[in-house]
Amino acid sequence: MRDSDLDRILSNEEEILPSSGFAASVMEAVQREAAAPPPIPFPWKRALPGLCVAAITLVALLTASILLLLHGAPTQPIPRHWRAALNSAAAVSQNLGAAWIILALALSFASVKLATLFASTRLPRYERT
Amino acid sequence: MTASEDEAAVQQVLAGDTSAFEGLVRRWQGPLVNLAYRFCHDRGRAEEMAQEAFLRAYRSLSHWRREAAFSTWLFALATNLYCSELRCIPARLVTLDDVAEPRDPRAIDGGLEQEDQDRAVRRAVHALPAKYREAVTLFYFHGMDIAAASRSLSLPEGTVKARLSRGRAILRGKLSQHLVAPLLRKEA
Repeated sequence: MRDSDLDRILSNEEEILPSSGFAASVMEAVQREAAAPPPIPFPWKRALPGLCVAAITLVALLTASILLLLHGAPTQPIPRHWRAALNSAAAVSQNLGAAWIILALALSFASVKLATLFASTRLPRYERT
Repeated sequence: MTASEDEAAVQQVLAGDTSAFEGLVRRWQGPLVNLAYRFCHDRGRAEEMAQEAFLRAYRSLSHWRREAAFSTWLFALATNLYCSELRCIPARLVTLDDVAEPRDPRAIDGGLEQEDQDRAVRRAVHALPAKYREAVTLFYFHGMDIAAASRSLSLPEGTVKARLSRGRAILRGKLSQHLVAPLLRKEA
């Protein structure tokens, strides 16, 4: 088959006319869209401190784990002031339920992202007339 | 409606007059539905995809930079949507090997033979891998204009040319027997 044959056949594709109610249906959907309240944005300002703390903790834990694997357990005991700081941090996070807060934030973030994804990929279908 | 009227309508919509969008819909509904139809060959689905394209255009109207015509931006947006829609849910499950042979390559009725050839070519285009199918579809939709096709696909012209060339080579290979028989008869 030559290109000219392909050109001839594919240039003569049949044209279709949109159905009579198409424009009205689109406008109906557009009006619905315009009337809908704006989506609730993710509360970044409130979540940011928690997310930062979680990220720093995660990085610190990973670094400590890697160092432990590479060099083995520390031969010297942890200095007293470090131990006191760690104990107080552990007590505060236990009192506040930090693990639960981090888990709740992560779950909220995931659910908001999923909902946004689904809402953007699936739009309401119009009723054809 | 002209390009400047398109721009004026967009300004009105951005200023809060949603009803001004109707002029844009009425002007571009035909091309957008037809473009979708070329991708899926299903009238109902074509209209659904075109509606989705208009909604997306409405939502992102403020992102249209006046560097290109409104139609260029709209076609690029619609093409992007149609391509991703069809990659998620293909139009029909036809592989290149399943493309139908002509019912009777020795048919006496020229009209019927021609119809068979046309149908086989369209089915073969549908069965092309997505990137070649998109280039071929856009090229012919824009009246064999590479520049317009590349703008709609948001790809460099060279890439579109290469994909078009490869797509045509696949089609030629698959469909060679569809036109060989009539040519041989003509020569005889």
